[in-house]
Amino acid sequence: MLNKPAPQLASNNASSELLKVLHFARLKHRVLFRCSPWRIFPRATRTVNATKSCVRTWNRRIYSLSGDSQVDGVCMTFLGDVGQARQFDPFVVFREGFAFVPNIVQAQSALPRAMQAHAKLEEAVVFRDGAISRIHKERILLSVAAHRRDKYCVALDSGVLSSIGVPQAQIDDLLKDYRHASLPAPDQASLEFCLKLSRNPTSVRFEDIEALRTLGLGDRAIVEVVVVAALALYRCTLSLALGPEADFKSPELPMANIETAREATLAAGATGSRPKTERRGPYVLAPFLSRSTFQPFATVQKSHGFIPNFFRAQTLRPDLLEAELDAVGLILLPEDSLTRAQKESILLAVSAANLNSYCVAVYFNLLRGLGLSAEEADQIAVDHHLSNLSKADIALLDFAVKLGTRFSEFSREDTAKLRTLGFSQEQILESIVVTALNNFSNTLQMGLGVEPDFEPPAVFEKNKMNLPSPQPTLMAREGVVHLVDTSLDADSELVAQAQSGNLRSFEELVCRHTQLIYRALIAILGDAADAQDAMQDTLLSAFKHIGGFQGRSKFSTWLVSIARNAAVQRLRGRKNMESLDDNDNQEDHDFRPRQIAAWQDNPEQTHSKFEIRQLVERGLLQLPAKYRIIVMLRDIEQLSTDEVAHQLGLTVPAVKTRLLRGRLMLREWLAPHLSTSARGATQ
Amino acid sequence: MITCDEFFTEFADYLENRVSAEVRHELELHLSQCRACHVLYDSSRKTIKIVSESNSFELPQNVFDPIIDRVMSKLRTERS
Repeated sequence: MLNKPAPQLASNNASSELLKVLHFARLKHRVLFRCSPWRIFPRATRTVNATKSCVRTWNRRIYSLSGDSQVDGVCMTFLGDVGQARQFDPFVVFREGFAFVPNIVQAQSALPRAMQAHAKLEEAVVFRDGAISRIHKERILLSVAAHRRDKYCVALDSGVLSSIGVPQAQIDDLLKDYRHASLPAPDQASLEFCLKLSRNPTSVRFEDIEALRTLGLGDRAIVEVVVVAALALYRCTLSLALGPEADFKSPELPMANIETAREATLAAGATGSRPKTERRGPYVLAPFLSRSTFQPFATVQKSHGFIPNFFRAQTLRPDLLEAELDAVGLILLPEDSLTRAQKESILLAVSAANLNSYCVAVYFNLLRGLGLSAEEADQIAVDHHLSNLSKADIALLDFAVKLGTRFSEFSREDTAKLRTLGFSQEQILESIVVTALNNFSNTLQMGLGVEPDFEPPAVFEKNKMNLPSPQPTLMAREGVVHLVDTSLDADSELVAQAQSGNLRSFEELVCRHTQLIYRALIAILGDAADAQDAMQDTLLSAFKHIGGFQGRSKFSTWLVSIARNAAVQRLRGRKNMESLDDNDNQEDHDFRPRQIAAWQDNPEQTHSKFEIRQLVERGLLQLPAKYRIIVMLRDIEQLSTDEVAHQLGLTVPAVKTRLLRGRLMLREWLAPHLSTSARGATQ
Repeated sequence: MITCDEFFTEFADYLENRVSAEVRHELELHLSQCRACHVLYDSSRKTIKIVSESNSFELPQNVFDPIIDRVMSKLRTERS
């Protein structure tokens, strides 16, 4: 079956080479004929089993997290025996897809679930047949690795390409300049796109996707191109930090690869400003998948409280989605090594450093859901050094940010530093894998143009991901440095004057927000007289504490939090205190409307404004306070869901759940008054 | 066509106009063929409109002014 010799192997072990040659024959058959080769190579199977001891030596040529300078030493907790490992599912997957288990996978042996996650991703992205060929996927992986100057990945991808029959001359051309590799136009264009995505993800535009479409790439192929580029960066991040020994002899990397003329043009284009009428994402079709029929969505709804658009944008490949969700579950959910909060903090800090406002907003909200305050999560996004995290956790984020975004500066000393701070091998490995997952997610999000689920945190400028070069305004006040966009809050000038003791400015400020404060108070207290008394307490308290307002949120948000505290103080004096903080239980999610009579076409025409207002006020007072305040702030004060969440210190998913429930309960209450059958009674 | 349960799982985002074009298409196809869900959607939309335009719990100026006067007077007294 082999038309040419297998690639030169890094190992000198003859038996190992024989084993690889046999495996490569199988792999080549699989790639070219898209069927299992085992029926064709039963003898090869037996040979593989007979020579497994040779693999042990070959597979263990890794240096890594120990800080030991020896290259051939086994420095991590490997699975005890390769013979046992053959039963380990991820190894089976890699043998099927690569014909061997790459060293980069074995370097994750201290955390078997990390290997499982890696196998899930590789299987779905690279090994499984899709709209683009395996050969082209390998070309993308090679080109991105070459651009990152990742010798391990270049050696791996070159070796695999060679083993599946790609001429060495073409591999050399891909390493030097892909434009000379005689590729078909769609393949060349998709390679160019992947290089742009990996090099400068914030520069990717809808037009880049359209250009691929005009060359004949379908949306499914485009999703695959993006996800292969993302996986290339996942591998490169792992490779950089784990430092596995090459599986194959490393080819020389030409210097010219760093910046071809075309890439320079692309990069230059990225520094320009975005057109005002730019077409927004998502860039590809995303067929509807319901959480009630697509089990992975039900799972993510349960774990995240919502289904991020990130996942909805990939529904053209449900199998891929499933693999990603499995990988996310394996990497992020267990807390046997790092805690979930530590991992989400890594994701937030690295996404912020990557200027990915989509992911910043998601991880910000997930951290809020884990109990972190909005201020603390803000601070991690902006500058984790000034957060209240422990010295060790700050060092952990330093490590991840450097690995994820300043890869040319990363060295083994960074790993050693974490060890001296008491992090275990498993924890260091997990932080590396989480960072790799983050780079995978950030790349995928940028490539697919996924639209935000939430507004990014106030201190992280809106549309940050669209800015080619960050020019944050840094402001230091009381030891906190954060990004400030004063245009976001029209009150900032008056606030500064009031903070310096100007009573007239304070009066003007509070007059601007009278209705907001009053509605927040009545929503919590459910009584007009109480709300008016609490209003006075709120204003006095606001003046007393205005010096401590740091501008990390809008002034109105801060005022509502003062009003909320004043109202809660009053509630505590009541016999039957109503809680605003009850967790949303299953009943909240399962609430179903019972009133199914149609409503009048124009209730406003059959009822006076006064009648409508009275009906609404009575209806709102029937609602439990935790729903009432959200409906009032969202629907009467017209605040966005994100603003309501921020003002009440809730997560956005919690606000969404309560808002729907509150609206439906109010609808149930209004229905008997406004349905078609009620028309006669009210006229 | 999607089921009523599937429609309901996307309902909150649909009301907020935060669904993709593909999801919107599926939901609107369902709405065109399911009376119960259509009533739910129509009445929920009207609820939001009525509440938004009701100006409920507006604090009258003649109630607010004395409150602000009392507060400012107290603050001025404390300062002097």
